[in-house]
Amino acid sequence: MNISAKPRLLQSLALILLATSANLMAVNSELQTSGARLELLSSPASSDSSLSRIVTDAKGQVWLSWVTQKDQMSTLKYSKLKSGGWSVPKTISQGDDWFNNWADFPSLVVNESSMAAHWLRMSADGAYDYDIQAAFFDTDQDTWTEGVTIHKDGISAEHGFVSMQPMSNSLTFISWLDGRETRADESHESASVPEHHSMGAMTLRAGVFGQTGEAVTEWELDNRVCDCCQTSAAMSSDGPIVVYRDRSNDEVRDIYITRYVDSIWTQPKAVYNDGWKIAGCPVNGPDVAATGNKVAVSWFTAKDDQPEVKLVLSGDGGKTFSPPVVVADGNTNGRVGTVILDSGNIAVSWMDKDGSDAKIMLSLYSGDGTLLETIQVAKSKASRRSGFPVIDSFGNTVYVTWTNIDDKPQVMVARVTYFQ
Amino acid sequence: MKTKPVVIVTAVIATLIVIVAALLQSFPGERQRHADEKWRIVNYWSEWCAPCRREIPMLNQLSRELQATNVAIVGVNFDEDPREKSLVIASGMGIEFPTLTIENVLAMQLALPDVLPTTYILSPENHVLAKLIGEQTKESLLAKLTSLGLPGNENYEQE
Repeated sequence: MNISAKPRLLQSLALILLATSANLMAVNSELQTSGARLELLSSPASSDSSLSRIVTDAKGQVWLSWVTQKDQMSTLKYSKLKSGGWSVPKTISQGDDWFNNWADFPSLVVNESSMAAHWLRMSADGAYDYDIQAAFFDTDQDTWTEGVTIHKDGISAEHGFVSMQPMSNSLTFISWLDGRETRADESHESASVPEHHSMGAMTLRAGVFGQTGEAVTEWELDNRVCDCCQTSAAMSSDGPIVVYRDRSNDEVRDIYITRYVDSIWTQPKAVYNDGWKIAGCPVNGPDVAATGNKVAVSWFTAKDDQPEVKLVLSGDGGKTFSPPVVVADGNTNGRVGTVILDSGNIAVSWMDKDGSDAKIMLSLYSGDGTLLETIQVAKSKASRRSGFPVIDSFGNTVYVTWTNIDDKPQVMVARVTYFQ
Repeated sequence: MKTKPVVIVTAVIATLIVIVAALLQSFPGERQRHADEKWRIVNYWSEWCAPCRREIPMLNQLSRELQATNVAIVGVNFDEDPREKSLVIASGMGIEFPTLTIENVLAMQLALPDVLPTTYILSPENHVLAKLIGEQTKESLLAKLTSLGLPGNENYEQE
């Protein structure tokens, strides 16, 4: 179904704008439609904040992480949404040697009894090389561990575009893009090889890590992937699944999936053959969500310079997918998010651009891919400094975070509660 | 007392000069265009894009070789960082050709590329003559320029 159905649906919306500053949940404004309620929440992040992510845990608690930058110092903070508002922000880590990037930025995941976070740190050996640092929350000490480098290659190269998923027993699944093969004949002693000697491709790797950052196991999932698009991971009933932008030998960069089934990673395969052949990187990764055997993947593609956001659904854990639904086309610049609600409906977020302006949009689909409703969550900017909106859900409520760059960068948060 | 026609004409000319000067001040891209009248190779780079970084030494060399021609190389920070930060990054990357301001880019009315690296070839009137996606080489850029009849004089000096 095409996005052109939106205006009809939007016309049916009853708009009620209420000032509710005294609301216990710190709701700044509210917009109600026939099928959903959109609330702009207060933000626990100060000005000069950006690179935010929002995540819900199994109890339905909502956690927000973001980065503040002052001079050269970067600080990763987080806060939890409680009935009385946001908790006092706490610091996970800070440093003056971080690699902050609007498309490749820190994350936080929350397990039943543990938390893990990641950020990128410049490696000492290469000016543009960086490592993935992860920290874990020590519940006994009520504090975060020091950051540890999760990949053990010891090669000065690019490592990033991380996806994390909490597992049982306080373990954390992490997938990432790993540039170790892009450096020729590297060893620990000769890690600084000039870039024109580069060889090999960006690889996709994943591992399971314990509470001190030790690798329980680690795999190479694909030996040639797009260099700078986000990876995305989810937990199906079979186990972890990872989606990413592949890179074929003749530069087709479609979205692929690999699944961990019966202790083996499946051969990567396209969720759909867009056939987007492009020699560069679109900096626009896919997003996957899973509940049981239901899997939903949304992504951006632009074959023949025709930008589109698409959605595919699976009822068998990602083994097969439905034909794609076109979520948006024309003016979209992607930056997608995907969640599966308790109702079985799927929400997809993306951005539409109009010159230098942009809109953060959210569409609701039924389990069979029928468009139910589309709302505009917020105005934004097409500028890359506005970053990637991030969504997560609990029950039938979707939480959205993004960065407002009208003035100083400011992390924003909204909540969309669906009635169906 | 009647004002002499010559005074009126002088005043009108002075007013026009002020208006034109103000307009040129408002549109630095236009000012640059009229001053240079050059075709431009506009390279979008990012510090975290390895292919972009690999292009820089080649673009530096080509920029020097094209210096006396009617083609110039300019760069744009894909990440749209503030001006000061962009210049620091450009310096750190060893970029020797000019980095455009956001105002310059807006004046060119150039669509934000979705892909890295992207290199445009623009006419002096900011018409897009070519959109090149992916890592370029000196040979690929010169071949494209040649196909467009550029550079248009004999001053190209290969290092």
